[in-house]
Amino acid sequence: MFLLPPLMRFFAFLLPLAVGSPPGLRALPVGSRAASGPRRLRVVLALALCCATAFPGAGIAGAVAGTTVTRGAQAAPTPPCSASYRVDRTLPNGARWRLCWEMRNIEGLTLGRVVYTPRGGTPVSVLRSAALAQIHVPYDKGSPRFHDIGAMGYTAIPLQAADCPGGERREQFVCVTTRPRGHAYLKSDEEGSGRTAQGSDLVVFAAFQLGWYTYIVEWAFSDDGAIAPRVGATGSLAGFTTTPRHGWPIGVGSKHFEASHTHNVFWRLDFDIQGRTGDVVEQYDFTGAGTARRTIKRTVLTRETRAVNGRARWWRVVDRRIRNADRHPVSWEIENSGSAEYRGPANEAFTRADLYVTDYRSCERLATTNPAPRCAKSVDRYVNGERLTDPVLWVNVDYHHVARDEDSDPMPTHWQGFRITPRDVTARNPY
Amino acid sequence: MGRRRVVVAIVGAGAVAAAGVVLSFLPAERGPRAARAAGTAVSTPAPADPLTGAEIERAEAVASAVSRQAMSSGRVRLLYVERGDDKDPGGSGDGWEGGSSDGGHRLAEAYLYDYGTDTLTVRTVDLAGGRVVKETVSHGVQPPPSKAEELTAAELLLAHSKLGEGVRRAYALVAGGPPRSASDLGLRGLIFTPSQEEGGAATRCATHRCMRLFVRLPGGRWLDTSRIVVDLSAKKIHVLEW
Repeated sequence: MFLLPPLMRFFAFLLPLAVGSPPGLRALPVGSRAASGPRRLRVVLALALCCATAFPGAGIAGAVAGTTVTRGAQAAPTPPCSASYRVDRTLPNGARWRLCWEMRNIEGLTLGRVVYTPRGGTPVSVLRSAALAQIHVPYDKGSPRFHDIGAMGYTAIPLQAADCPGGERREQFVCVTTRPRGHAYLKSDEEGSGRTAQGSDLVVFAAFQLGWYTYIVEWAFSDDGAIAPRVGATGSLAGFTTTPRHGWPIGVGSKHFEASHTHNVFWRLDFDIQGRTGDVVEQYDFTGAGTARRTIKRTVLTRETRAVNGRARWWRVVDRRIRNADRHPVSWEIENSGSAEYRGPANEAFTRADLYVTDYRSCERLATTNPAPRCAKSVDRYVNGERLTDPVLWVNVDYHHVARDEDSDPMPTHWQGFRITPRDVTARNPY
Repeated sequence: MGRRRVVVAIVGAGAVAAAGVVLSFLPAERGPRAARAAGTAVSTPAPADPLTGAEIERAEAVASAVSRQAMSSGRVRLLYVERGDDKDPGGSGDGWEGGSSDGGHRLAEAYLYDYGTDTLTVRTVDLAGGRVVKETVSHGVQPPPSKAEELTAAELLLAHSKLGEGVRRAYALVAGGPPRSASDLGLRGLIFTPSQEEGGAATRCATHRCMRLFVRLPGGRWLDTSRIVVDLSAKKIHVLEW
């Protein structure tokens, strides 16, 4: 609102009323068929006509972007971030991702205002903010136990051209690139021709030097609407020696036992599907272990929650006000199946769950060693029974590193991460 | 790794006061982003843009005004300034399609630490109005170390009778001569908070501002300083036993 010209402010205020959206909801539901019933369409068209006539050039701007409403002359909406910090990429199949990035002093690479537009569809905002929230590194022998997120922004590594193949470097520290992701689909038909397509990802990453480790903090935005956050650890092994009980012999002979350790990576994800209101988190389980039938079980998380992984368990953030063309509510699914599920001692209770859901609170930024005064210090303490009105998800993915000879310098990257996939964002495969 | 040879050389002393090292006043240092932004004239940043150099300077000046005396004595230090990224109550989200974009009201959060009282103060500065609009104070909260604190910790380490000599010797082995100052070392600090597993001499770090300091030598080799804890509040070095 702050930066909009007065006319646009006026229309941005009016239009949600005209289309019957709840207050605070700008974009219409995904799928124009569901979005604009005849009566609503008439109102919007009338307003658009009025506006275009009375205020030529003002247009109705982005308040109804992506709908089938005919627009007058358009005034380009003001993006939430300027060109240096903006990523707006349409991938070869027509999927479009927009986001802003910021290198924050504490969290390092932080992405915000993430919006996905399926081919031929309307934009849907996904994440208000997304960043690493901690890398906790306890060693198997009990010590040391590092909390690796310090002032991440200061440790960002200036990227060379070779570090960012085919991409563009933003202010030296952030690489924005695209890369192939293999088969988007492959389907044969009776005639033998079939349909096949190769997919691609928009990739945004930065690298950080944290002691001997280099961490690559990467976000892949896929052309099927999925998001894959992951962290790669490379650089050098710490070189900590230990006993055979807690390590693995590397190098010549069997004298140096490199200390085994775990990287417990936490991400903070503030989902805002078309605005901060209306988001609900659900957990899905499938009962019937050892039986022929499996039954779907949905649990709506109404209060702050700590949850652990389970076979076939997943979660989703759903906004029932936002529907696709099939009238199914739009949601984003969290799948966390690649974790070593480290569980630490009682004084590290934050390690004892794989997903936390908290109500939005601006001071809750890191999963451990939270730097804000008058705020809880770790994510397990954020969960204190509050009713969820604007859920924030914290995902914990762990990797147990037992070193091997191949980990000599430069240590090959080991990755850990999870996936966020669209569920019913579009009524069909749009690609 | 050669690092292990260095460990033997520099670990082994108890807590020793390192006299003569003063936490001097320094302005909040610039991160990589801010350093560049300072040289770029961005007149009107967009709502989600990082703070510009000018905004950081303004926030520093406003946030420091009431602490100037304590800062000049070195007791209080301004660590860094972070963009305030709270959601506006009336904001409706991303702002790409027009409509209201939260973040339009530019705020900066300045982190100040008082080593005398071990108090963290975060002052939220309204950049348009040029005034502090919120202040939160707390004991026992340790934000990540700043670059200036890393340098101070390295000075304390070099001033230590045994450990400092070990660092200088290790440095000389690869560089051909001792470091001229702490700034010759590659530094990386992490806050240290004692746990059941890692307490010992460093139990005072439950209230003090302490850090682990990683030291990188020319050529890229890291010293094993993981048992060394620098107590910035007491200006001492502790060595962990594990």
